[in-house]
Amino acid sequence: MFNKRTLAVMKRELKNRLLSRTFILMTLLIPLFIFGILAFQTYVMTYEGNEKTNLVLVTEQKSLTEKVNSEFDSLSFVKTGQISVLYKTMDSISFSRYLDENKKSILEDQISGVIYIPNNSLINKKIEYYSKNPKNNLLFEKLKAPLNNVLLQVYFANKKLTADEISYVREKLDFNEFRVSTDKKIEEEGMGNTIVSFLFSFLLYFSLIFTGTMMMRAVVEEKNNKIVEVLLSSVNSNELMTGKIIGTSITGVLQMAIWMLPLMVVISTSYFALPPEYSITLSMGQILYFLFNFFIALITFMGMFASVGAIFDNDQDAQSGVWPLMIIIMIPFFIAMGMQGNPDNNLVKVGSMFPFASLIIMPARMSLIDVPLWQMLISIIVNIATLLIIFPISGKIYRVGILMTGKKPKWGEVVKWLKYKY
Amino acid sequence: MYVLEVKELTKSFGKIKAVDHISFTVPEGSVFGLIGRNGAGKTTTIRMMMNIYLPDSGEVILRGTKIGQEFKDKAGYLPEERGLYKKMKVWDTLLYFAELKGKTGREIEKKANYYLKKFELFDRKNSKLEDLSKGNQQKIQFITTILHDPEFLILDEPFSGLDPINTDLLKEIILELKSQGKIIILCTHLMDFAERLCDHIALIEKGKIILHGSLSEIKTRFAKKNILISCEEDLMFLKDLGIVDSVMDNGNEKSIKLKNGGEPQELLRQLIQKNIIIKKFAADEISLHEIFIEATGEDKRLNTEGANV
Repeated sequence: MFNKRTLAVMKRELKNRLLSRTFILMTLLIPLFIFGILAFQTYVMTYEGNEKTNLVLVTEQKSLTEKVNSEFDSLSFVKTGQISVLYKTMDSISFSRYLDENKKSILEDQISGVIYIPNNSLINKKIEYYSKNPKNNLLFEKLKAPLNNVLLQVYFANKKLTADEISYVREKLDFNEFRVSTDKKIEEEGMGNTIVSFLFSFLLYFSLIFTGTMMMRAVVEEKNNKIVEVLLSSVNSNELMTGKIIGTSITGVLQMAIWMLPLMVVISTSYFALPPEYSITLSMGQILYFLFNFFIALITFMGMFASVGAIFDNDQDAQSGVWPLMIIIMIPFFIAMGMQGNPDNNLVKVGSMFPFASLIIMPARMSLIDVPLWQMLISIIVNIATLLIIFPISGKIYRVGILMTGKKPKWGEVVKWLKYKY
Repeated sequence: MYVLEVKELTKSFGKIKAVDHISFTVPEGSVFGLIGRNGAGKTTTIRMMMNIYLPDSGEVILRGTKIGQEFKDKAGYLPEERGLYKKMKVWDTLLYFAELKGKTGREIEKKANYYLKKFELFDRKNSKLEDLSKGNQQKIQFITTILHDPEFLILDEPFSGLDPINTDLLKEIILELKSQGKIIILCTHLMDFAERLCDHIALIEKGKIILHGSLSEIKTRFAKKNILISCEEDLMFLKDLGIVDSVMDNGNEKSIKLKNGGEPQELLRQLIQKNIIIKKFAADEISLHEIFIEATGEDKRLNTEGANV
């Protein structure tokens, strides 16, 4: 199957792709795009708008009001005026009257919200918030700690505790995560590997779909432009398909290797000291495995994309007929993305050794936890077995489809093609 | 000596039998015409000869051995439906297709330049194909077919879409290649071209070969039976003659069909005996077009196809 004709097809494919503007642009743009998405997501999640927030804070004791006032005055967002607070002291009856009187101002956004700290809060730590938009979690996140501080101060004021004791009580609980693995010493786990796992899944997903669609379109073009008959008078369809797929896959792996370079530099040198919360526990072997896995994935999926291209003779039909492939790429991708919650649950475990899915899930999983060796081996065996089974099937569909013209075939007919003598 | 023997080739697509036990032979050094209407099975036959399709049964023998990659390397194939990579440059295209045939290097580059000059496309060698006119794209396609110096040339409707000047250029090159000893297989539904270029033909109709042999032999076989006479007298009396099958009066020209075994010489003797003044007596004017009609037994449909040559 591999000979000088395959090589010629492969060379053309490589030359065509590596020197194309799309390749160079994509190689540069995709990392920007991924970090752009990350940044955008973070920005959207923390966005609170420029609007000024006008709060009214009410307590039942003058002393409590003053304490809150002095605590708030030291907060940055109060200092900048982003949140302005009007302090009042009144009992519960006058408070409910006050609410009634100011209903209009609240509804018209002159008052963004009213925080009411009843005396009871010194017993049950419950305070109230009145607003048109009461689910303002971002605001609560900002105010919880200072308000808690004030309540603790007042609560412990007459209990004769040292400042040290109070500050211990104030401290939040924090999990420090340590990864236990066989070959390395126990290390503190940061965000780094979560980002790597996200990166692995996203790059795999994006590259497979992107390269696959290009492949499919190239095949449709050859079929549509009738080049294929000229080609087939020189090479046979296996040589043609193999050459195209290997050429495309080498391009894909090369691109991926370029993207992996910064990661390799970071983990193998000490020039770029990452802050401890972003430290990455990853070996060079894992990156090489990732690239190898990607190469297998490319050959597997490119064969299928090529056969879908061969079934249809125009881009539109091909785009709408490619959904089965999209599904077997997307479902594992979503599993991989959702894995950060618990990378060792059973769905992930099975998925990382399941045909097709393992190609996408295993790399993300191995960057989060130490995957047992036997599971890695099963994953590799499954991947190669899948490739060996699927490649001849893709080849057959490609062979029959590529010379088939006329009306769009149904899936049932495509299955029948497998029995054709070609 | 036959260079190619096609034996009992059969190919079905689902329930449709595209090619049905086709057999013919291509002699050394000939221009061979595979002639038939659109959809008769020409392209399917060619594809099986080129090993693009596997036949359901039958085989193609090249000088005693079954065809395979060797034949592909030695053959240049110009399919009816042409195509090249639109975004590829002319020069790259030529070298790529030669490389697929296993030919690379200085020799091929020299030849590519030679043909580009011959087709007046030398100054376009760095253009992308999509920037060339349709006719020029066809010329490039033809160059890719012959650049690797194939021993066999398989041309499927080579003249379709060419203007008269380029048609002549192409014909000239085909004859030049013939004189170099190449074996040319010409697929066409244009009887006119086939008649002028081919020395052997196979007529294919509904997936079957209905006529096969050297053109001159076929012509004599058919010509014996058809005679064209120009005269003013009424010739209807010939009907009663034992050797005559039918008489058609077209005014000044009468066309007479002889029965099998009937000799034109005998007819001429009868006419002279009756003192008929004959202005023209033609016994060999049957065209491939007429042969085709007679062989297929279908008159009108072919007329419309063959007429606009």
